Amino acid sequence: MATGDKDHHKADWVSIHQQTCQLLIPTRTSLPCPTTERERKRGTEQLLRRQKYIIDAAFSTAQELVWAGKHEEARPAALHALRFSIEVYGSDSLQLLPAYLLLAEACAGAGHLPEASQYLSQAEWIILRTPDCSAAVQHKLHRSLGLFCAAKGDFEKALYHLANDVYLASSTFGLTSIEASGGYFHMADVFFRQNKVDIANSLYTEVTSAWHSFLLKSLQAQQQVPKSRPETSVFTEDREVSEEPLTEAQQVEGIRVLNAILDIREQAPTQQPGETARVLHALAMLHYLLMDVPKARELGLKAFELLKQLPQQESPEPLGYLLALMNVEPSSTK
Amino acid sequence: KIELTLLEGNKNTPSLLLNCRGLFLRAVLVICNYLVRRRTEYGFKGLKSIFLIPSNRNSYKKNICIDMLRQGYHKSFSELFSLIEKWNALREAAGPGSAIWQQKSLEEQPDKLDQLYHFLTRAEAAQRAGHYEEVYDNQLNLAYYFNDPEDKWLSNYFHERCFNTAKLITTDIRKREAQAHANMGLIKEEQGHVLKAAEYYETFYHLTVGSTWKDVTGHTYNSLASEYLWRIYTLLADKMLENKEHQQAIKTLKKALKMAKNGRWKITLSHSAETTKRLEEFMKAAENAHLSQSQVDACVLLGNIHNERGSYKEACEYFSQAYETAKTLNNLALVDETKAYCGIAKAHKLMVPFNSHIEAEDLISLKYLLAWKESRSDMCTDPLTVGKTLVMKYISAVLSSTAELSKFNNREKQGENREEKI
Repeated sequence: MATGDKDHHKADWVSIHQQTCQLLIPTRTSLPCPTTERERKRGTEQLLRRQKYIIDAAFSTAQELVWAGKHEEARPAALHALRFSIEVYGSDSLQLLPAYLLLAEACAGAGHLPEASQYLSQAEWIILRTPDCSAAVQHKLHRSLGLFCAAKGDFEKALYHLANDVYLASSTFGLTSIEASGGYFHMADVFFRQNKVDIANSLYTEVTSAWHSFLLKSLQAQQQVPKSRPETSVFTEDREVSEEPLTEAQQVEGIRVLNAILDIREQAPTQQPGETARVLHALAMLHYLLMDVPKARELGLKAFELLKQLPQQESPEPLGYLLALMNVEPSSTK
Repeated sequence: KIELTLLEGNKNTPSLLLNCRGLFLRAVLVICNYLVRRRTEYGFKGLKSIFLIPSNRNSYKKNICIDMLRQGYHKSFSELFSLIEKWNALREAAGPGSAIWQQKSLEEQPDKLDQLYHFLTRAEAAQRAGHYEEVYDNQLNLAYYFNDPEDKWLSNYFHERCFNTAKLITTDIRKREAQAHANMGLIKEEQGHVLKAAEYYETFYHLTVGSTWKDVTGHTYNSLASEYLWRIYTLLADKMLENKEHQQAIKTLKKALKMAKNGRWKITLSHSAETTKRLEEFMKAAENAHLSQSQVDACVLLGNIHNERGSYKEACEYFSQAYETAKTLNNLALVDETKAYCGIAKAHKLMVPFNSHIEAEDLISLKYLLAWKESRSDMCTDPLTVGKTLVMKYISAVLSSTAELSKFNNREKQGENREEKI
């Protein structure tokens, strides 16, 4: 850490501390000797709650930084989350897994491969020692290992881990789930780099259709739910995400994955207008769900133009549905 | 646990070991992974107690799936995966006590998984390269591989896949498409969807008209199509008769008849009692509806079936009925044709006692034969009226021939030759 971006570190530490420092003091200082059993119990409970809050805050800060591509800045926050997780859950709890994986991702992204490898080994060790570890957890580990191997340039091993990732995700969430499609996306990337373009293309098609149908379903669900959401209390600590059509992670992943595929489709030597239109349609739906109507309209119209060139229109109804929604949307008073 | 205490013990000392912690952990991991794999591969048990490692045994299904995926065969993977899921769902739906409940799941049968792996991945590679005929062939291999009754659903599934692939093939003048239609028809017929089956067979028929394609037994595809259509039309007519749709039934039976005539000498009609029953029904229906032409056709067919079976008495009866009906039609050619049939059947009828006399090789029989030869009259059967000369010719030929008597067992062929002579 002796490099020039020490200022960055400082800024990040501050940014995490801004959220956590009031809570940090009581967790670090010893409490005055509690007088009663009940008080002592309450004290420990409060401490635990604060620690968990710190873990959440640090974790989501790190996560957002990683999503933004600021891996170096994400490292301290992720480490923070890990330390508190160890304090709360012990050193070989499954609960440490997300922190280890995030930390590994941040390190690998910042170019610190040996460090990343070390964190991944820790995560692997935890899973190996947990007899009834769920496939949902294992698939995340394999995803991280696969990405790490791909970053190292060890493509065969990367494919092995990503294959495991896809298999486990398919077993847990279903064959066409977006969880499984994440693994496919990274596999496609590896095949692409191996110059196996036909396989990569076939996989990208798979990913696109997974997202396409997922977003279509979300869109339809959103339209069916009457917009009578109760006022969320300012005081509620937990952010209510259950009513959102997409989780934050899904939003970020969707934007990233679909944009990457769109780039590839648009730069391909042989154009497949049908496929490109499908990606555009999916992206338009995503932007619509994220309330970015102008962007959604632009993408939707682009998809529409592409489909018009095709001799036989491939089921343009969902696209027409989306476009109709947007033309109605601005005029209707919300 | 030993490793962990070792690590924790060194936590506070900045020793070499601490720096090597990650490396050390990796080494332990590699060794453990190796041992776990060895245990799964060689069935070596007992490691669990030593290392306290949970069993991470991969199932064969998982190994196959991962092998497919890492080579990029993601379509094969999802196909295999969903087939296994489908089977499990079927089993769940059937519940305990059902036949399917007793069966082994697909994922517990490595041989079948191996076959699926082999052909699915080959099909996918061919598809990527755009070689659809190869895709088809691989899928067809799977359809044939699953020939156990309990795997019927898999066979049907792959036949359907073949059917969809066949439409994309442009290089084989639609041979595979024809084949796929035949297979789909057979499946639908088996499932009792007669109308659907008839549709497939009709397409099969139209795709094979004028082709020389043959199946493994040497039958041309077109004659097979005729046979299938004949069968399905009679089935259909049967259902119509049940529902008292007589006109419809006659119409369908006429179509069936056309198919049967179409392949009359090329195909061997299925000589089942079923067929005969159908034809008799049809004949009756035709008689009642005063459709003389159809009646003659049906009689001739029935006569042929009996003739080939060796029941010459019945054959004679049907042929003479055809002859009588033909006479009412004022169709000279038809009268001649039916007359010839009568002759053939009667000659066959006469052959039986004649041969028995020859085979007996005793004096009395010889006397009988000589007496008959001199008088040229009917020996020990009903007097011959129609086709008598023909019979004479035939029998003289037999007598003068030096060929062995066993040759005469092959009556069918000779019957045909005679027909040509006529």
